[in-house]
Amino acid sequence: MVEKADLFKNGKRLDGRGPMDLRPLKITAGVLDRAQGSALVEWGRNKVLAAVYGPHEVLPKHLADPPKAIINARYIMAPFSGQEEHGRSGPNRRSIEISKVAKHVFENAVLVDQFPKTMIDVHMEVLQSDGGTRVAGITAGAVALADAGIPLRDLPVGLSAGLIGEHMVLDLDKYEDNLGDSDMPMVILPRTGEILLSQMDGMLSRDDISKAFDMIFQGAQKVRDKQIEALRQSYERMAAQAQQGENNQ
Amino acid sequence: MKQLVFPGDKVADEPRRIPGCFVEDGKTYAANVSLQSDDHVVPLKGYYVPKTGDDIIGIVDEERFSGYNLALNSPYGASLSARDTRDELKLRDAVYAKILAVNEVKEAVLIEPQKLAQGSMIAIDAVKVPRISGRNGSMLDTLAKFTGSRITVGKNGIVHVEGGNSELAMKAVEKICRESHTSGLTERITKMLEEQTRKTGGQGD
Amino acid sequence: MILEQIKQGFIRDLAEKGQREDGRGLLDYRAIQVTKGFAPNAEGSAFAEIGKSKVLAGIKFDVLAPFADRPTEGVVMVNAEFSPVAHPEFRAGPPGENSIELARVVDRGIRSAKVVNVDNMLVAEGKVQGVFIDLYILDHDGNLIDTAALAAMAALKDAKVPKFEDGKVVRGSNAGPLPLQDIVLSTSFEKIGKTIMVDATDAEEIASAGRLSLSTANDEKICSSQKSGSAGFSKDEYLQMVDWAMEKRKDLLAKI
Repeated sequence: MVEKADLFKNGKRLDGRGPMDLRPLKITAGVLDRAQGSALVEWGRNKVLAAVYGPHEVLPKHLADPPKAIINARYIMAPFSGQEEHGRSGPNRRSIEISKVAKHVFENAVLVDQFPKTMIDVHMEVLQSDGGTRVAGITAGAVALADAGIPLRDLPVGLSAGLIGEHMVLDLDKYEDNLGDSDMPMVILPRTGEILLSQMDGMLSRDDISKAFDMIFQGAQKVRDKQIEALRQSYERMAAQAQQGENNQ
Repeated sequence: MKQLVFPGDKVADEPRRIPGCFVEDGKTYAANVSLQSDDHVVPLKGYYVPKTGDDIIGIVDEERFSGYNLALNSPYGASLSARDTRDELKLRDAVYAKILAVNEVKEAVLIEPQKLAQGSMIAIDAVKVPRISGRNGSMLDTLAKFTGSRITVGKNGIVHVEGGNSELAMKAVEKICRESHTSGLTERITKMLEEQTRKTGGQGD
Repeated sequence: MILEQIKQGFIRDLAEKGQREDGRGLLDYRAIQVTKGFAPNAEGSAFAEIGKSKVLAGIKFDVLAPFADRPTEGVVMVNAEFSPVAHPEFRAGPPGENSIELARVVDRGIRSAKVVNVDNMLVAEGKVQGVFIDLYILDHDGNLIDTAALAAMAALKDAKVPKFEDGKVVRGSNAGPLPLQDIVLSTSFEKIGKTIMVDATDAEEIASAGRLSLSTANDEKICSSQKSGSAGFSKDEYLQMVDWAMEKRKDLLAKI
């Protein structure tokens, strides 16, 4: 059983990380065949799969917003994804709220004016969860959108910061989220420094918030590097396959 | 030298109208994962959006009293008035036509329709159409020379192949799409066509 | 929908000049009124109005099974009902994303600041106190989150804890006021063009591209943050809104 006192000792966190360290992060683009774009984000023990379909006809029809594309974002946790008992299938209040704020992120990042009267689906499936699934999901969704060829202003990047006692740390895992004092998931556009998602649990002063922002902006660069790396590798894989195909002729 | 650019990467310090890019605060940025070489930014993937003057291939997906609706391999469809076509069209017929106009929600109106004969068809990503055609149509000429097929390419990414060794032509089109962003493509395609026609003893039919 | 949107240009032009339709300053709330004890059958209730927006909060105590890992802790639950009386586009039926968001934002503020001390709320073996806060949206002229948060807080201040006997609530009984450990209030900001304002009307919300709702607690703490809508905020804008929220807290506090 993990106790709160174990979370931060001698400048180190339970898993040995320093305050600014992220958990191991691996992003793979183009992991699904049928989806227009897809990405798998493995972040610590989280595994989140994102898939993009569209732009397509708006369903149901009355939702169509003629001057731009509407985003249909769906964040959901698989019933087997948590350490706890079997969850209920389908959306719950938490996932509906997260889907809503994720939708707002993509509405900003996607150049929605280019596809009037259409709908773009961004599905985020949490297959295994270990704290920070919404920021992992949106980070995955961003890569899936780019992989699909949907025009974007920038790749939105998700990351959380939070307090353990008086220590502000980045990228909280499940224990830190449950036993720590506050959690502030955020999504930013690195290029412009815009905050596209901000939520919060716990109590923070103005100084805490300011510090959390600075840490998130700094850490987000590492996440963005992984997003770009995933897209680059997807291209290189494709190019290598083309070469290989030729050798097999 | 070609280099990969990613959404949000700056491609020019001044506002420029480049497909696959956007302008923000007077600077031009890539909106897609794209290959940039000097003045060209070519997205790896994209979507066809109807443009006035484009020659496209549409597939009839609805018959109405006054005409037809056609699918365009795009989020948007097109309509063709019965007055503007001599042919009686059926569902799934392929039509080569020009886009007369596009309305504010990107739906196209077609004119000068030519009904295409039964043949093989494939829908590809419209960003790859320039590679299928090649410079001044050179790739299409090569394909036609080796296969003897009549190949029609719509700007919207629908390719229609009729007659000749259409199987080989389709295979070549698919190969071009797969390898469209690699160098030495023309040579590889020519080599493949040479080998394949030698194997099968020349053109079909 | 279309008819409500035609006013957007007018609202945006005003906002660009730092003005508002009703003549308010950008950081002014509309008139605020709170009536506690509005629905006396509930253990706590309050009717809150900000401008023409109206929210009734009702609190009922009940007993329920505790969470497995917290066998003696009580449970506070917030639910929002966007009643069809409040707006032509509100429909009866299961809660939509706006209703769920509002309830969860109010809930996070109350929960984060530990307004209700839920420790030791054991009533009988396997039974703990449940505090159900229902937020009835009755008239929608914008800024529902602040209005609902205000109603919830006032209802909590109004609440009397009933007596519990044989693992049941004794209805109509009174074991004293519900002790509160903090006061949580919400201030929401809307961004129209580049202009940020508090307490937007429905028309202003339609013209707005993004919202930030901040909940404040005692000792200059922020206890919930919710960004909504497609617009982004810079760090400077965000911290400025934190300062404004602390400032506005004083006005709201005076009303309850």
